[in-house]
Amino acid sequence: MTGSNGHEFWWCLTIGCVVWYSTVTVYVAIRGASDIKKMLAHLSEDSPERAASAGESVDN
Amino acid sequence: MTHFSWWIDGSIVGLYLVATMVAGIMVRRYVGKVEHFLIAGREVDVYLGIASLAATEFGVVTCMYTAEQGYRYGFAGATPGVITALCMLLVGLTGFCVKPLRQAGVMTMPELFEKRFGPRIRWAAGVLIVLGGLLNMGVFLRITGEFLVLVCGFDIHYLGTYVVIMMTSLLLLGTIYTVVGGMLSVLVTDFLQFIVMSAGLIAVTVLILYQVGWDKLTATVTAHYQSGGFNPFTNSELGWQYVIFNTMLALANVLTWQTTIARVLASKDAKTGQKMYTRTSFFFACRFLIPGIWGIAALAVLTPGTVAALVPGATAEKLAIYPMPIYLCRTLPVGLMGLLIAAMLAADMSSTSSYMITWSTLIYNDILAPFRKTKWSERRGLLWNRVIVSLIGVFLLVYGLLYQIKVDVWAYLGLTGSIFLASTASMLVACCYWKRANNWGAAGAIIFGPLVPLAYLAFQQIPATAPWAEKVGPYYSGMAAYLAAGTAMVVGSLLKPILAPPGRAEGQPAPLPAELSGGVP
Repeated sequence: MTGSNGHEFWWCLTIGCVVWYSTVTVYVAIRGASDIKKMLAHLSEDSPERAASAGESVDN
Repeated sequence: MTHFSWWIDGSIVGLYLVATMVAGIMVRRYVGKVEHFLIAGREVDVYLGIASLAATEFGVVTCMYTAEQGYRYGFAGATPGVITALCMLLVGLTGFCVKPLRQAGVMTMPELFEKRFGPRIRWAAGVLIVLGGLLNMGVFLRITGEFLVLVCGFDIHYLGTYVVIMMTSLLLLGTIYTVVGGMLSVLVTDFLQFIVMSAGLIAVTVLILYQVGWDKLTATVTAHYQSGGFNPFTNSELGWQYVIFNTMLALANVLTWQTTIARVLASKDAKTGQKMYTRTSFFFACRFLIPGIWGIAALAVLTPGTVAALVPGATAEKLAIYPMPIYLCRTLPVGLMGLLIAAMLAADMSSTSSYMITWSTLIYNDILAPFRKTKWSERRGLLWNRVIVSLIGVFLLVYGLLYQIKVDVWAYLGLTGSIFLASTASMLVACCYWKRANNWGAAGAIIFGPLVPLAYLAFQQIPATAPWAEKVGPYYSGMAAYLAAGTAMVVGSLLKPILAPPGRAEGQPAPLPAELSGGVP
């Protein structure tokens, strides 16, 4: 690459996409894993109700 | 000649598939209620939401149609991505519509419409959204199958057979964990898929920029399309109608596209939903530009006639879609090929599973609602949802095999999306911000919004009317849908107080639900 070659908007956008996407991928990978842990922990707390619901599963 | 190695690339793909299926099936034990199955118990936080939204909104079909846009129109073909990113940012920052929608505590958009416009509008909106959504999604599988067959370098003479095998396998993989774990499995697998997909997309793009080079890419676009390859307004095939239609589509998409909205509705609160929008907005520019560059690279590297010689009898539309996978098949080295295929499988499975769970949610929650006279048990609700997801899978397979697209893929997706986006966007804005909006207006939007795109798609398939449809084009048809729906919403709402007998319960404008009243200026 020798520069924007007269197409600054698309050049900046292309470079911006590659840099931004790479950074966000790493960041979201780390923070997203933590979100999953929290989500599953919260849903586990709901498990007694879940068990009860499953037990009452006879349809009227 | 393909560089696909069964040992190295096959192992990468196999490892990815096993990891995804195990993760998707393992979270099954957390699903005990319909609410867990459909909206993951509303426990989704920002970063998981970003990963899920990004993975869902990028499928192989996205890669194919954005590359096609790059191949056909150069950089100007990435304009819809830039517009969508701006709309997403704007809506995320202001909370326009999405904030009152999340605050309403509903599971789907039609559920909100019921609060304002009544149960019939809820049902009709549900039918419309599912109709448009399934027609839209119906072409995903075939295009994905074609991509995988071409990029793996399978014998092109058996393209049809391989595509059917690919379509069926992909569908089965996605359906299994969606049926088992619902939205919860979708979210967890989306997260894995986001990482694999992003790694593949970035690696391939960096390789292309390094191998082909920016100068050659821009020179190719200039040689084929002159200034129109960089500016949609000066492109003879695009023009102002393309930009306006895509702006309408992008705004409606951001506000009411069910798979996007499903993430907002599953978020912990409205603020989290808005953050998801703001922080994912730039991804929507990336998802058009990155594969667009792949398409431009195919235009730069493949000699004219290569694709036509390789796939004899291919239609003009196929000749614009096939170059990108053929180019990648010939360019990518062993290892990167495996990563690309795993990335594309990830992209496809996350989209397919998310779309299936979304349409299933609508069918169960809104279309079947009138038939649930008594409250169903959680087990019965889960069973029905699983049956619906499976039936959607069967529909996708059959439709994908039978339907042939007659325009470029993005135009088809934009039009089929507009079948419901035009109506639902008008209804949502009116529902949240216009006190005089009522069920007459909503019914008008539901009736008139889909008319033009449905008529256009039908006329395309009939030989006698096909030339006329081609003359009108998809962009004017799409614009007409938004104008018709918006006008019907306003006219219907204004007519009702004049024409409906006073004092009738249904004749009075419904008061704004409490959770929406803050949103009215």
